[in-house]
Amino acid sequence: MKTSFIAFWRRNLALANLGIVTNLEYRFNFIIDAFIQPILTVGIEVLLWLAIFKTAPEGKIGGFSREAYLAYAVWAPFLGRITISWMYESMMAEEVASGTINTILSRPVSFFEYYLSQMLGYKLITTIFSLMVPVVASIYFDLPIQLSRLPLALLLIMYYLILVHMMSFLVSTLGFYITRVRSFTILKNLTLLLLSGELVPIDLMPKFLAKLFLLLPFSSGVYVPLAYISGRREIDLMISGYTTITWSIFILGGLCILCWQRGVRQYTGTGA
Amino acid sequence: MITKYLSLYRAFFKASFAADIEYRLNFIFLIIAEFVWYSTQLILFEVLFRHTNIIGEWNISQMRVFIFLVLFIDSIYMILWDLNFTAFTDNVRKGTLDLLLMKPINSMFMLSSQRISISHIPCFFVTAVGVVWALGQIPDFNWFKLLWLIFLVPAGLSVIFCGRFALNCSAILFTRADFLQYLWYSLFRLGLRPDAIYAGFLRFVLIFVVPFAMIASIPARILLEPTQYWMIGWSMLLPFVLFTLLKKYWRYCLRQYSSASS
Repeated sequence: MKTSFIAFWRRNLALANLGIVTNLEYRFNFIIDAFIQPILTVGIEVLLWLAIFKTAPEGKIGGFSREAYLAYAVWAPFLGRITISWMYESMMAEEVASGTINTILSRPVSFFEYYLSQMLGYKLITTIFSLMVPVVASIYFDLPIQLSRLPLALLLIMYYLILVHMMSFLVSTLGFYITRVRSFTILKNLTLLLLSGELVPIDLMPKFLAKLFLLLPFSSGVYVPLAYISGRREIDLMISGYTTITWSIFILGGLCILCWQRGVRQYTGTGA
Repeated sequence: MITKYLSLYRAFFKASFAADIEYRLNFIFLIIAEFVWYSTQLILFEVLFRHTNIIGEWNISQMRVFIFLVLFIDSIYMILWDLNFTAFTDNVRKGTLDLLLMKPINSMFMLSSQRISISHIPCFFVTAVGVVWALGQIPDFNWFKLLWLIFLVPAGLSVIFCGRFALNCSAILFTRADFLQYLWYSLFRLGLRPDAIYAGFLRFVLIFVVPFAMIASIPARILLEPTQYWMIGWSMLLPFVLFTLLKKYWRYCLRQYSSASS
């Protein structure tokens, strides 16, 4: 495998392109994935919050106004969809379980890189298209969203995706030891739904839980960027988000290397 | 006829049980995952009710009845049909549908009942206990009202079954139809929320046109509020209407089907 930066860049760009092209191939699929699903989800969540605020004392909940929660309801499903990995994690786990990983092991690219770049390409194209939904909704309903803060928030999300991919990689390497790991994917993603703040804004959780959730890196997937762009919190939370993701990447990275090396040593290619 | 289908179902159950138990750790984690998913739905409303007393028209005790009821009905659906419907588009794409259509039994039964999700069975019992517990929190609840569930649960299940089957049938009309799964999960969210949050025309649509409110919202209303007989009448009629429409649509889709020659 060539190790220069240019070779690395070209290789990964090609893989990102592959991720984009594969997902744009079936356009109807893509439209539902990027537009219809977010619109439906946002619509339902907005209606729920409107119903909640009909009876809210003094028109505020947890110190925030109706508009602040509507902004949350509009943006949280959008960010949650970007920062979750179902499709690529399932593909990776399937490669390990079925033995088709052999074809990747014999290529001049690592298994980790191969799927990371494809996933980033796919997430990038989905983000670009589906970003229109919350942006238009925010402008139309005059929601308290500071669009100037969006680039920094999106950068945090892209950084967080590396951590997400590491978790997917770790789950799929478990396939070397226990073959069937679908349940790990489901369990992990459902837990993240809660820990990231997508299901319920972390402000509304009991205080000790809110503190704990903010210490973990997973809140950087939804709550932290959303709290920043909606003006609930300031730059200090973003910095802490970047910091927690960084140390998590180091810890998880070490674990990934360990599991991968032991797993590959134990793995027997069956010629799939 | 019924004996034949029951014995087939017994065979499907045994095969599914053996398949699920083969990977034990995965099986245990699947059970845990299902409990986590159901817990998230409960947690959402428990947290929201820390900050408000009423959502829609219901207080926390009434909302618990609704949530446990929706989870109870969902668990039945997950046990009986979900795995089959998830595999449906692959059957169409890979051509294995041909094989299933040629079997000497009802094709809709074959396509919807081959796999049974054993890992959801614990959730079924827990949510059933949850419904009874939640109803126990309602002051002066008339327990005879539970008998209405004999009609209401099948009505709710028919909405899920027919909706998902109809969406899956559409896979025959397209080449790759993963989006149908995404679409289903988005639509299903409509049923996971109480109908009172939808107002006016949208609520009418969700009761009569795309009847997701019939999954648990209307059943919960029948249990919790003074009986409205039009709701019960509609619950009894609905499965017949849906299955008639579904059969017609299924026949239409099969006429469009061209074999992938598996």
